[in-house]
Amino acid sequence: MVRETNRNFKFDWITIILFFLLVAFGWLNILSASHTGDLINYLDISHPYGKQTVFIFLTFGLIIVLLAIDAKFYERFSSIIYLVSMVSLVGLFIFGKNVNGATSWYAIGGMTLQPSEFAKTATALAVAKYISDLNTNIKNLKDQIQTFVIISIPALLVLLQNDTGSTIVYGAFFFVLYREGLPKYYLTIAISAILLSILALKFGAIITSVIAAIFIFGYHFFNKKKLRFAQTIFIFIAALCISFGVKYFYQSILKPHQQDRISLWLRLEKDPVKLEKMKKTFAYNLNESEKAIGSGGFSGKGFMEGTRTTGKFVPEQHTDYIFSTVGEEWGFLGCSFVVIVFVLLLLRILHLAELQKSQFSRVYGYGVASIIFIHFLINIGMVMGLIPTIGIPLPLFSYGGSGLWAFTILIFIFIKLDSNRINEW
Amino acid sequence: MAVNEKGILNRLYFVAGCMFIFGIAVVFKLLSIQFLQGDKYRALASERVVEDVVIPANRGNVYSINGNLLATSIPKYDIRLDALTPSNNRFEKYIKPLCDSLSKYSGKSSSQLEKQIRRARAHKNRYFLLARDIGYSDYIRLRNFPLLELGAFKGGLIVEQTTKREHPMGGIAQRTIGYERVDEDGNITRPGIDGAFGIRYLRGVDGQRKKQQIGKGQWKPLNDANEIEPKDGYDVYTTIDVNIQDIAHHSLLKQLELYKAEHGSVVVMEVKTGEVRAISNLGRTRSGKYYEKLNYAVGESHEPGSTFKVIAFMAALEDKVIDTSTVVDTGNGRKRFYGRDINDSHWGGYGEISAAKALEVSSNIGLATIIDEHYSANPEKFLSKIKQWKLNKPLGVSIIGEGEPDIPEPGKKNWSRNALPSMAYGYNLELTPLQTLAFYNAIANNGELVKPRFLKAVKEFDKEIESFDKKVIVEKICTDETLNKIKEVLKNIVVRGTGKKLYSETFSMAGKTGTARTEYWMKDWKDNPRYVSSFAGYFPVENPKYSCIVVIHKPSTKVGFYGADVSGPVFKRVAQKIFTDTPLVNEIKSLNVKVESVEKEYDKFYEMSEIYKTIMPNLIGMPAMDAVVLLENMLVDVKVELDGTGIVKEQSVNKNVKLKKNQIVVLKAS
Repeated sequence: MVRETNRNFKFDWITIILFFLLVAFGWLNILSASHTGDLINYLDISHPYGKQTVFIFLTFGLIIVLLAIDAKFYERFSSIIYLVSMVSLVGLFIFGKNVNGATSWYAIGGMTLQPSEFAKTATALAVAKYISDLNTNIKNLKDQIQTFVIISIPALLVLLQNDTGSTIVYGAFFFVLYREGLPKYYLTIAISAILLSILALKFGAIITSVIAAIFIFGYHFFNKKKLRFAQTIFIFIAALCISFGVKYFYQSILKPHQQDRISLWLRLEKDPVKLEKMKKTFAYNLNESEKAIGSGGFSGKGFMEGTRTTGKFVPEQHTDYIFSTVGEEWGFLGCSFVVIVFVLLLLRILHLAELQKSQFSRVYGYGVASIIFIHFLINIGMVMGLIPTIGIPLPLFSYGGSGLWAFTILIFIFIKLDSNRINEW
Repeated sequence: MAVNEKGILNRLYFVAGCMFIFGIAVVFKLLSIQFLQGDKYRALASERVVEDVVIPANRGNVYSINGNLLATSIPKYDIRLDALTPSNNRFEKYIKPLCDSLSKYSGKSSSQLEKQIRRARAHKNRYFLLARDIGYSDYIRLRNFPLLELGAFKGGLIVEQTTKREHPMGGIAQRTIGYERVDEDGNITRPGIDGAFGIRYLRGVDGQRKKQQIGKGQWKPLNDANEIEPKDGYDVYTTIDVNIQDIAHHSLLKQLELYKAEHGSVVVMEVKTGEVRAISNLGRTRSGKYYEKLNYAVGESHEPGSTFKVIAFMAALEDKVIDTSTVVDTGNGRKRFYGRDINDSHWGGYGEISAAKALEVSSNIGLATIIDEHYSANPEKFLSKIKQWKLNKPLGVSIIGEGEPDIPEPGKKNWSRNALPSMAYGYNLELTPLQTLAFYNAIANNGELVKPRFLKAVKEFDKEIESFDKKVIVEKICTDETLNKIKEVLKNIVVRGTGKKLYSETFSMAGKTGTARTEYWMKDWKDNPRYVSSFAGYFPVENPKYSCIVVIHKPSTKVGFYGADVSGPVFKRVAQKIFTDTPLVNEIKSLNVKVESVEKEYDKFYEMSEIYKTIMPNLIGMPAMDAVVLLENMLVDVKVELDGTGIVKEQSVNKNVKLKKNQIVVLKAS
């Protein structure tokens, strides 16, 4: 036990401080966004801020437990944790409770639990375990496929539960695999496919095809040694398929509300009447959120002083749109602070990951950073209209017990692994 | 580890770079939102946070002269359910009892209602309609139903109050009582009294209160007091007498239905004051039902036809160019004036008759001859009379949309050599029914032409704000000599002229029939002739109390079209009923006339109605209308079928026979 105590002091305190900065600042903003003007009772669990207070207290207990568990446990039991997590996702189809159109909650007593939040951690562990296996080489197609399967199972399960946002989060593992040596052309293909899709939606398939042709054939003729002509043609046909297929995908596979969000983002709708209608319906959240952030100015209106926030103009403000509260009440300074803390946290985790001796810890660390990053990117991007609306929370910041605990587990397992890096395994 | 060190470093930089670049992008977007577009968003954010909320003033009531409510504003409630608000426990606990209660209230099946509400909850309907436009007592009942009694925040109850204008009298005089209605484009239509006096008296002044929006759809008052206190509208007391209005409405309705006419109107006016006691305007809908569509009596100018002959005749009398005894040659019923034939309705003509007789029998040729003979050299002289009697100008009544009269003048478009003889019998000029009535009223009122009025007083609670008195348009339209002569003729028209079918020994009235062709300029007139039948006059003859005009447009010619047949009976029914049905009977006694026959009839009626409650009385010899009233007021409900008008000659059930419920009693009258 003496050894245990000693080890506690080797935890990376910078990460822990950044973690608590975000949780504390998040709590202040939840308080502002959800108080009703009554006397504030911090433990009144009929209000979100009261519940969040309780969640945060419970988080301390959780952290102690996480750090107390032996580091080897996480690696050794990662497969079992993954399995349990997948079972909990499947169980949703039978016992799940529908909230806001997604069947992703278990209702236990008065509490609700969202297993997909925890599944991310489980998947990160499983991927780390698989890649760090001595027999695994990510450059082999077989191993790539197996890794892909590990990631796809939870991604598909949450997709079936109508939780598109969480599915996209699993894209985070791309960064992990890339760092671990996934061939570069995957990155090229992924980026090209995304660019092509956006271009095709915005400018139409024909213009996109012409642009693609210029790039592909240009590449072919200026780098003759690399590709055979047949390969170039194949790539070009693939590009054509994407250019023309994306329209079909957009119109036939995507649901109307998803089409609307993309149409709004790419400004595909030109009719001012319909635009006005959009502003009042699905673009309402974004519109209100932009108003709130925009009205904040340099230093904001002050804590609990935001008229848009206290007036409850922004729907879902204490959950997905919490950043708009920061924008209105703390202004540019507050927002920059949040962004800087996030970026510091991410870079710190990446830095720590690179220091790991064990490949398992490193891959897991990359998983942690990537998952947090993709949440951060999608959430902040959505709140400010940088990307289409996808409903996922801002890590450690948004209201919600499941989310807070899932990220606590995600981060503190890494802190525990990191604290163990100089120890023998 | 197959990847070399440099490769790893590059990949690390790539991942870290992505995160860093996104951080920068966020900061740039922030700068854009908060600074570049900051003013725009700040303006948007403060917009609609504080708003002036209108507190509508209560609209005043419209009353009849007897104090009955004609139009009033009452609160109505829409009850809705926010199906998402109740917690699951509450919802499941109360859904059944709620639906049972609703089922008892609405008559819909409880299970059906439960299905609907559950579906509303499943579809996240936060605005599910439970009841629309219900009154206060129903609202109180509903809000005490299970679940709803928990209120807005726990039970999801949504109550929306609106104010509806109601006409307690139903369809009667609806057009004249009127309303104010704003359509989607903001255009306001305001017919009738409610419309005419809406802005000035009824509407009141809306209050204002600053409210701050504290959330979506939630507003809280900013200050303790209202910025502007609402001031309720005044009450308006009309001159309408509900009893007379009821009589006029139903008499007209009955006749319109009988003659399948297109539309018609009745106006009853108090002779001395010009106060309109009843005004009924009924038009036919496609389904054949009649309702108050437009205010024809006030708004519709049309060729009056024979009722105008009285005016032409009086002009000639007053100018002393003729006397009642002046002989006029009406020939064989057809006479040519300036290349156009004028016909009389009597086949073969009347030959040489006195001027008075010409008016009694309503000879077109007679009147045309008189006027043409004496005025063709100087039409202005004839027109000056018309102008002196203000028939060329609208009356200026308070109701919006009064029709303009159209009187031709030499030198104007509508003038021709035929204009004068045409005018003599009521063509080639247009008047509204109300104008004609005002003139007849002046005859009855010893020459004083008063303005028809609809408004008696404006009150705030019991305090009188404004009252309205008689308005004289022309002090004396003609000499007493002329008046007496024309009165005599008008009386004789009913006794022996075109209106003799209306004559009753027991009740005196005077007036003139009118049967004017309308739309005769259309090609299909010959196949489908259309007429306007009218009757204008006053009663009782001896000391006129009321004047009345009945105008019925386009009666079915298969049933009949003469003024005496179509409009006359309405006039007679109104006149008789006013003096038999309403408490005004007492007022007859106070008049210095003894209409002994009427008194006697009434006494007999009263006596019999006191005695006979379940046993068939002897009705023979009694006025048919009285007999019907008597039977209908018995303690046993019997169905009365009346055949003819006048005095009862036969009754299908013998006297002193005990009547059964729903028994049919047929009365034959002559």
